[in-house]
Order: sequence, then structure tokens, then C-alpha cells
Amino acid sequence: MTAPTAVLQLDHITRHRAGRPAVTDLSLQLDSGQVLGLLGVNGAGKSTTLAMVAGALVPDKGSIQLNGKDFVEHPELARRAIGWLPERAPMWPELTVSEHLDAHGRLRGLHGAALAQASRKIIERLELGSLARRLAGVLSQGQRQRLGLACALLHEPSLLVLDEPANALDPVQVAALRGVIREQAAAGTAIILSTHLLAEVTAACDRVAILHEGQLRYDGPIKDDDHRMLEQTFFDIAMRGDENSDRMQAA
Amino acid sequence: MSLPLMGVFAVTRLELRRLFVRPLAWVLAALTLALLAWRFVLLLGGFLASQIKLAALPGGPGYTDLVGIPMLSSILTGGILPFGVAELALVIVPLLAMSTLAGERSNGTLPLWFAAGLPASHIVLGKYFALMLWLLMWLALALLMPLSLAHGVTLDWGKLASASLGLLLMLATLAAIGVACSAFTTLPAMAAATSLTLGLALAGVNLGAQMAGVGNGFFNWLSMSDHLESLLRGLVSSADVLWFVLVIAVALALATQRLASERERG
Repeated sequence: MTAPTAVLQLDHITRHRAGRPAVTDLSLQLDSGQVLGLLGVNGAGKSTTLAMVAGALVPDKGSIQLNGKDFVEHPELARRAIGWLPERAPMWPELTVSEHLDAHGRLRGLHGAALAQASRKIIERLELGSLARRLAGVLSQGQRQRLGLACALLHEPSLLVLDEPANALDPVQVAALRGVIREQAAAGTAIILSTHLLAEVTAACDRVAILHEGQLRYDGPIKDDDHRMLEQTFFDIAMRGDENSDRMQAA
Repeated sequence: MSLPLMGVFAVTRLELRRLFVRPLAWVLAALTLALLAWRFVLLLGGFLASQIKLAALPGGPGYTDLVGIPMLSSILTGGILPFGVAELALVIVPLLAMSTLAGERSNGTLPLWFAAGLPASHIVLGKYFALMLWLLMWLALALLMPLSLAHGVTLDWGKLASASLGLLLMLATLAAIGVACSAFTTLPAMAAATSLTLGLALAGVNLGAQMAGVGNGFFNWLSMSDHLESLLRGLVSSADVLWFVLVIAVALALATQRLASERERG
């Protein structure tokens, strides 16, 4: 087994939105094969953080290293290395599912036979075959999420960024999503997913970071027996902005 | 193909696909081409009716002057048939361009382009090229009407080529303005309204100067119809071509700047 390597390194990144600090002095590292759950209440800065990691936003301060290279200076690195499922999976409503995969593949540098093969593979894997010719505009939210996930995975990125991936999925689809996340992690993909569902984090992640008011308040591994402790820590931070989230550290 | 070109090509391809599956593009094409066909029939009828009179005039206007050029614009002819390709373009280009970036913004898909590692310039250029390809096809179909009789009439190929170049430059300018307006708003309708207003203003900014008898002032230079008129008359001057290129460059640079700052500002 190969030793994990740092895929993503955030160094003191800060980002303002609408004149207010959305993320402040955030530092994180994510290794290959690691699944990091980003927890936080609404407005905690999760989506802003993920948008910066995905390359859709530029940090005001700080640096982002992707596979050891400065990603802020070279946003083109995102092209092949990152797969991103934004919140609510935005789509072009007039294009079909297969046209979406084709477009995303081309935007991510896939062409010809490689693109066709990657599309076939991901359609089969995420069971999108019956939807392939359906317009994205008529898909249910759950189907959109699956299509968004397919677009994010299509080019086999080394970093997968998932913003609320379980939104609108039924329990069967949630279980399937967890399966996909585990498979990707086993294949060495670094995964960062944001959610406000504790169960999602404990089921799919091996590490958790809790954001509150744009700041990282907790970052640590998840063990099998500390779910209640995680829940208590999350509520301590979310309700009281508790800086002394020592329970998990001690555990 | 180099990586930057591949990015632009990928955007163009996707945008063109989206244009072709939207009913708006087809409806606009059908309606405007029908209107132009009707115009062509009327112009041809007028030309045929005045054959005897025209034959008596040595060096008088021919098929190109009476049918070919008036099909493209009514700037030179005026009269009761106001809607040539140029006049229709003032309306349809803003409608086609309105969603290029504003639609992406309202859809929430704009960040997907940024996240693909594409610089703002590639996104803007890719979308602009797609729009231009659609407009080129539309112009070609409009030109086919007068050209369909080329075997039976004497065409002034030079004048028609110059006028077609003028129309092409006008379409390219309006498209660039449309893309720029679309870059500054979330609402496609707002982009269309702004772009239409700017197009009309550029086309008619010299009217006041003309009425005042000023033929060579700043407003005349600023006016798109002034530059188009020379090309419609068959006079290709680098100053006119440069005017169009300048407006296109400024509009696309503004769109690129706006998009780049959006990625910066969020």
C-alpha cells in the first residue's frame, strides 16, 4: 500500500463575501484516500470554502496547494485534478444527461474515445442509463444530484469536492452515495464533503472539520465510538461558539 | 490543438449546442428569414417592374443596387421596407446574446466554468464565437436569397462582398455588445434591453448631427450606421473596419474584466 500524500493544503485562507468575512484564516490538509467531512450550520462558510477549493472562487488571502502546486496562481490545475459537485447541482436545463457528461468531459480535457469510455463507465456506475436522453431541466432533485456526482467523477479527479451531496437523495440513494465515496477513497481520491448532517459525516468520513462563523473550530479523526462526542462538540460549537471543544481531543 | 484553444473550443461547442436546442434561436431564425424572404420578393417585384425604365438609363442601378444591397439594409434605400438584415440584427442579436453569461449566472452554472480552470477570456471568447457561428449561418441564409438569382442577373460581386463584410462586422459588433451586457447582469431580459438600447444608440447617434448639417463630427464617427453605410456603398476603408474592431475589442475586454472580477469577488 502506498503512503498517503498531501493532495490539498489550505494555508491561512481568508475570504470575504458581501463585505463580511465568510472564511477566516482557515488551514487544512487533506491526504490521498482521506474523506474529510466539513460540518457547520448554515452560513458557517462551508460552501465558500468548497468553492475556493474547487477553483470557483479566489481567496483574498492565503494559499491553496493542489498536489504540491500553487492552485491560486495556476487555476488550470483544477481542470483534471478536481471534481466538484456544487450545492443544488446546477445544470443547463436544455441539455440532456449525456450531453452534460460530454460537456463536462470536454471542459475537463477529455476527448474522443477516452470521453466516450469515461461517460459509459460513469453512466453504468451511477445507474444513469435510463436518464441518458432526458433533459436536465426535467430531472428530479435527486436525479440532478446523481448527474452532478457523475460530472464530478467523470474525469477521475484526485480531489473530489462535494457540497451537500446527500441533498434530496432517498435512503437507498444515500447508501449508494456512501458506497461511491468509499470506493473513491479506496482508490486514493481525496474527498472533502460538506454537510450539516452529523450522520452523514460519521457514516462516510474518517475525519471531521467543524466550521463556525468562517473559522475552523475543530479538526480531528472520527473513531467508531465517538459519535455522541462528535454530536456534543458540534452543538457546543454551533450553539455557543465554544472554542474549547476539548471533548473530542480528549476522547 | 493547444490547451488554451481546447478550452475556447469546448466552450464554443457547448454554447453552440445550447443555442441550437433552444426554441428561441429557431423561432427567431424562422421569423426573420420569412420576413427577409418577403422583403426579397417585394424588392425583386419592384426591380422587375422598373426594368424598362432602368434599361433606358446608361450606368443606372442594377440588381445589386436594387435587390442585393437593400436586402441587407435599408440605410441607403429607406422607404417603405425598413427591415433588412441590419435592422433585424439590431433586435435579434440582443435576444440571442442575452443568456450567454446572464443565463449562466441565474442558472447557477457560472461557477462550473471557473471551476474547470478556464480563464475569463476563454469563457467570453468561446461564447462569443458560438454566437458568431450562429449569426454567420443566419447571414449566409439571408445572402442566399439574392444570390439565388446570380446565374440570371449581372451581380456586382465587389459591392455585394463589401456590403456582406459590413453586415458581418455589424453582427460581430452587436454580438460583442450583447455578450458584454450579458456579463454585467443576472437577468437575461435586462441584458437584452441594455444591448438593444446600446445598439440602437450606436446606430442612430449621428441622426441629430445629420439634421444639424454636421457631416464629419465626433457623433458621426461614433455612429455605426455611418461606418456601415460606406461598406454598403462598396467602399472598404480601413478606418471603418478599425472602428468595428475597436468596439468589438472594447466590449469583449469589458466582458472579460467583469467575469474575471466576479471570480475574484464572488
